[in-house]
Amino acid sequence: MQIFKVPKSIKKNSNFTFCSGCDHGVAIKLVAQIIDELNIQEDTIAIASSGCSVLLYDFLDVDCLEAPHGRACAVATGVKRAHKAMGNNKFVFTYQGDGDFASIGLAESMHSALRGENITAICINNTNYGMTGGQLGPTTALGQITTTSPNGRNIEYHGYPIKTAEQIALCEGVSYSARVALYDIKNIMNAKKVIKKAFEYQKKGLGFSFVEILSNCPTNWKLSPKDSHEKIKNELVKIYPLDVFKDVEND
Amino acid sequence: MNEKELLKGNIAIAKAALNCGCKCYFGYPITPQTEIGEFLSGEMQKRKLAYVCAESEIAAINMALGAASTGAKVMTSSSSCAVSLMQEAISYASSDELPIVIVNVMRAGPGQGYIFPSQGDYNQATIGGGNGDYKTIVLSPSSVQECVDLTYKAFYLAQKYRTPVILLADGMLGQMAEPASITENPYPEIDNSSWILDGAKSRPAREIHSLEPSQNKLNRHIIELYKKYTTIEQNECDWEEYNCDDIEVLITAFGTMARHAKALCNHYRKKGIKMGLFRPKTLYPFPYKRLNELSQKVNVVIDIEMNMGQMLKDVRLAVLSNAKVSFIGKPTGDMLREEEMVDASKNVLKEYYANI
Repeated sequence: MQIFKVPKSIKKNSNFTFCSGCDHGVAIKLVAQIIDELNIQEDTIAIASSGCSVLLYDFLDVDCLEAPHGRACAVATGVKRAHKAMGNNKFVFTYQGDGDFASIGLAESMHSALRGENITAICINNTNYGMTGGQLGPTTALGQITTTSPNGRNIEYHGYPIKTAEQIALCEGVSYSARVALYDIKNIMNAKKVIKKAFEYQKKGLGFSFVEILSNCPTNWKLSPKDSHEKIKNELVKIYPLDVFKDVEND
Repeated sequence: MNEKELLKGNIAIAKAALNCGCKCYFGYPITPQTEIGEFLSGEMQKRKLAYVCAESEIAAINMALGAASTGAKVMTSSSSCAVSLMQEAISYASSDELPIVIVNVMRAGPGQGYIFPSQGDYNQATIGGGNGDYKTIVLSPSSVQECVDLTYKAFYLAQKYRTPVILLADGMLGQMAEPASITENPYPEIDNSSWILDGAKSRPAREIHSLEPSQNKLNRHIIELYKKYTTIEQNECDWEEYNCDDIEVLITAFGTMARHAKALCNHYRKKGIKMGLFRPKTLYPFPYKRLNELSQKVNVVIDIEMNMGQMLKDVRLAVLSNAKVSFIGKPTGDMLREEEMVDASKNVLKEYYANI
């Protein structure tokens, strides 16, 4: 019995180049599995962004376009609308980090959600700017030490962090907004269900669907992969609860 | 279709875009180009084409970047200070080799400036306001009819060379109306099936990105881009010569300013001074070679611009030591009138003509 196989939508002979124990690899594998299950590999255009998530096209075996930093949802809007204007219905999703989606790109992300663009956005939230070595981002938790908050995030000095999935859920054009984590098998299985639902909502034409994946960053958190997952399980989920904040089919 | 109608420059650009198959427009309002978006909004919705009132020019140009990857003909339009916001994505699109038509109906700057006409974005357009080694084709219309003709050409060159093309008009041209006709698009369609992103059906997946962590590959990519720019420079230089057959004095000007400069040529012709005008229609590629040839026939070249002398450096690069180069300019507002140009040019010409 075959218990594991590489998804068809993962490029042959590609090896993940993420840091050891990083959740990016798990997230991309889930996305590839879902693309296979929904049979949309030949209709998909993925939008990569800046930061660790840019390398998506090295691994995912679908048409892929890189967006300038933060602009993935605007780029996805253009791809989706242009294909529609030519009579094509393509599946378009973005794969972004929290800095990309919720900091530099918040305007493009939020307005795509507000318009109800029929695209899906996946946001890997690892509570820091990973690629550049772990600086304070919009999602850095209060008290969290980063290279630009050496004494920990402080309300008076640094201001509050953003709870992205909750904010996106407030937009009228949104069909689905949820936060998931990948720190154990149960959560990975649930994340797959949630991402699949977000993809299905786009296929049904219900509007903007969004999944925030609360992820680890062992290198910049200076923790082992195991300890970084413990941190998510014991600390971060209290700040960033795992939940579905909007679901138009169930609300 | 080919009958002349009274058209504003902005409307002429919008109509020409629709007429040559523009499928997507993304934009944000800014005077003096807003009529382009206003006109297209209803027309494109009627035709079930893509039109988004973007949340910013940054979003608009990035929507255009995404749309261009599908092979659809794509346009965005804006003006000066807001075109500045688009520079990052123009750099990306140049590296990604994505065809986008960007209309800049220039207003005065720097900063917010005002809505007066100006030619202050020559440098930004031709040198490029974004990062890295890239060049952007820049077309410069001088009449409402050329707004039509060069819009067609902008779409054609963008597709032919897979590169962003800037149509650089100014507030005067965008806002003024004169008779023009929406002619047939004279250019052929370009086959883009080898590179567009339309889903990996019966072919390997494609990726379009500017990121390149291998220094060898990045070097090769930029060198390939520059081979393309060399081809563009060899094939696509375009210009107008006005009364240049027997010149003693040569005027250089582009866009709307060139029309006024023709009045200066006519003024001196009546006085027996053989003055001609050289007007580049492509600002990049700049027609250095032809200007160099013409400048060999004259003692003096007078460059006239509605800015503080931006095309001037290209004129100097073309003329070299063949002739003296002087400049008449005004950064914005009312166009230089014939009398003003006559007054300013007297100082230059008296060296060569005693009785001026």
